Amino acid sequence: MHTDAQQLDTRVRVVTPENIAFQYHVAGPFRRLPAYLIDLAIRVTAGLVTLLGLSLAFGFAGLGSVGLGIWLLLFFMLTWFYGGLFETFWNGQTPGKRIMRIRVLSVEGQAINASQAVLRNILRTVDALPFLYPLFFFYLVGLVSATMNKRFQRLGDLACGTMVVCEEPHWLKGVARINEPEVLRLTPSIPARFQPDRSLARALALYVGRRANFAPARRLQIARYVGVPLREELGLPQSTNLDHLLCALYNRVFVTEDTPEPNGPPAAPPASEPASGASPFAAVAALALGERGDA
Amino acid sequence: MKVSDLLEARRENWSALEQLCKQLESRGRRRLDASAVSRFAALYRSACADLALADAYQLPQETIRYLHQLVGRAHNQLYRSRLFHLSTWTRQLLVDVPQRLFGDRAVRLAFVVFWGIFLLSGVLSYIRPDFARHVVGKETQAQIEEMYSQPVNKENPAFRGAMMGFYVAHNAGIGLRCFAMGLLFGVGGLVATIQNAALLGGIFGHMATTAQSGNFFHFVTAHGPYELTAIVMAAGAGMRMGFALLETHGLTRIASLRRAAIQSVPIMGAFVVLFALAALIEAFISPSSLPYEVKFGVFVFSIVTLVFYFVFLGYPRGHRRAVGQNPDRRS
Repeated sequence: MHTDAQQLDTRVRVVTPENIAFQYHVAGPFRRLPAYLIDLAIRVTAGLVTLLGLSLAFGFAGLGSVGLGIWLLLFFMLTWFYGGLFETFWNGQTPGKRIMRIRVLSVEGQAINASQAVLRNILRTVDALPFLYPLFFFYLVGLVSATMNKRFQRLGDLACGTMVVCEEPHWLKGVARINEPEVLRLTPSIPARFQPDRSLARALALYVGRRANFAPARRLQIARYVGVPLREELGLPQSTNLDHLLCALYNRVFVTEDTPEPNGPPAAPPASEPASGASPFAAVAALALGERGDA
Repeated sequence: MKVSDLLEARRENWSALEQLCKQLESRGRRRLDASAVSRFAALYRSACADLALADAYQLPQETIRYLHQLVGRAHNQLYRSRLFHLSTWTRQLLVDVPQRLFGDRAVRLAFVVFWGIFLLSGVLSYIRPDFARHVVGKETQAQIEEMYSQPVNKENPAFRGAMMGFYVAHNAGIGLRCFAMGLLFGVGGLVATIQNAALLGGIFGHMATTAQSGNFFHFVTAHGPYELTAIVMAAGAGMRMGFALLETHGLTRIASLRRAAIQSVPIMGAFVVLFALAALIEAFISPSSLPYEVKFGVFVFSIVTLVFYFVFLGYPRGHRRAVGQNPDRRS
């Protein structure tokens, strides 16, 4: 079993066969309950509609009880195998889960197989305890079980080695551009060869990403810690606004200006070839990650 | 190379991968032609490489989150869930399940508990009417007596179709619930087994004392073996999971549970099939006007097939052992 000792919050790391670690947010009860309720509503509706349809169809043929028998079989399937079949054929999702953007995966991060999908839904009976006949389930067992492990797994998930993860859509945005005139004026005074180390670059990116949430005074207060030493290092006047300084540094490091740089741009790797899909960084990745047979 | 250049260079690849993911999600793998599939794989590897180097190339957090999501989405399409394969299922049902059940101590326990309590409850109900009243309940007793007050051949064939659906839904439902309850350290399954056994034994014992006993046994003889065996199997397979939490064979409790749970799935399939067979007999043979000898023949046939399944197919043949098999058994 893949356990991650570093897990701090609801993010779990998954290592792919390509030796890349990516992250998932595991879905908590408040994400899964609406999905369950949607599925329940769909099941009840489907049950009523098929009952109506079958009894009408077979009723006209004078075989009402055959229709009832078929419906009872359907009802049995809906009760016990609705989730299992959907999760098998929809790759870990039921309609409710799809609407709530969650998906069942095995704890290793791979798609679940049919046995896992069917079993975790049959073991739901235990997780739903205690219940008031016929429809009111309290899900206390599942809730207690989910609070006692890092991946919010109910008993059925524990037995099958599955977890439910969120599929948040993230849209690809470009690099943030700061077009405030003060910043644009300040940017040329930063040397073009300015190369921050990795932690400083990350701090700059985080700061620029979040500064919109802060009032100017708070921006200055936050910017002071990095800004004051940098202002001295770059020999800028004391009057330089530290917030604008950080933005200008960010522009210099992350954003390409239209004006050509005096010292020439740093040697750029060859442009990637989308048709082959091979990244120019794949070779570097292979070097960085040790000997791997994939490129 | 600045980050903004890098993003511009990559944007095309990433959105192409996103498009392919969207197509795969909505239409499935079979609709994609071969070149698109290989392009998908190449783009996925390239996105993986970008994610690996995201930190080194100081990509913004937002982009890293986007990449995590993109790689996860593509990964889910590339490594899809395996569907049911008929051939592996036949093999599991005819080879693996009987061998696993034959040596499984949880199934033996379920067998002994079920039949022990069943016989005890039956005999006690037969001797002492008030015992049956306590176990079965007055209302249920009256219901069942009413149900068998008529000879069993009155129903029309269409009604039997309805009953078949009812028997599958009701009985397999009881079996699956009994199976799931086993997960509670085996205790839940044990309690459910004892309840079922006491109730059924009580009904059998009580009905034997009444005037309707002829009708009753006329009805239950044919489907009894399959149905009662299926209940024992369900309880045993469930308890196997529960006991795996207690007896871990050196694994962690969760790992031990997972191993037992995955093995119990084909057993579940087997008992659902058995319930369906029982329902078929219960709907079409048991209530028919066939003479008792024929129904007794079905009874004997059921027992012979069960023995064939569990003993002949199940006798250990030196294959690897499954969880919970008796280690001192020599094959």
